[in-house]
Amino acid sequence: MKVSVKETETAVIASIEGSIDSKTAPDLQQSILPVVNDRNLMVLDLTAVSFVSSAGLRVLLMVYRQLKSNNGKVVLVGVSEEIMDVMFMTGFITFFEIAPTLKEAFANN
Amino acid sequence: MVKTFAATLDSLEPIRNFIAEHCVEVNLNKKQTYGLCLAVDEIATNIINYGYPATGASNGQIEVHVQTNFSDQLKVTLIDTATPFNPLQHLTPEEADLNIPLEERPIGGLGIVLARQSVDDFNYEYKDGSNYNIFVINAQA
Repeated sequence: MKVSVKETETAVIASIEGSIDSKTAPDLQQSILPVVNDRNLMVLDLTAVSFVSSAGLRVLLMVYRQLKSNNGKVVLVGVSEEIMDVMFMTGFITFFEIAPTLKEAFANN
Repeated sequence: MVKTFAATLDSLEPIRNFIAEHCVEVNLNKKQTYGLCLAVDEIATNIINYGYPATGASNGQIEVHVQTNFSDQLKVTLIDTATPFNPLQHLTPEEADLNIPLEERPIGGLGIVLARQSVDDFNYEYKDGSNYNIFVINAQA
């Protein structure tokens, strides 16, 4: 798994590549949680993510909680059909905004 | 087909890849393949993170058996000698309240719920000192 983080004044954009499982989830957490600070928009680009286990969902939950405490929100971009199914199954879907592309994520925020 | 993996988190991706290769043989679709890999990943993670550490063993292994039945069913069995753990005795998908707001939900237990929901049939047995976690996916489902 690879993560690249881009910070703007108001938002953090993290582009993730590969699998988010119990092996890689701690790395993801370390790469993105500390950079949130007081920003209120986190965009996670999952276009190149092929697999997310419950360990990955837990990281999303922590990001959500952190943003929520800043009155902010998390937008997920490029979520595959299979990962979307898992998010529906677990009820996670209702807590995130979903955008097909990065451009659309910013057009709506 | 049997393959033995070291019970470490580094084995998760190779285990998923091993299973995905066999999904092609019985023409499982993308969604079914993903579900089976997810279910196996979640249970293997529990064995690695909790099962073997509880026994104090540092060189634990997970045997992954893949069997095709009538060319339209795939059965995966994980066999480990870690501490006995029956996922069926833990939360069922119905019991886990997935409607609790995300910020109030306890972290943990989600993996077992996902594992059980992602395959057509899930079974557990403990025999001869080993845990048997059995996953079945029907190609025609």
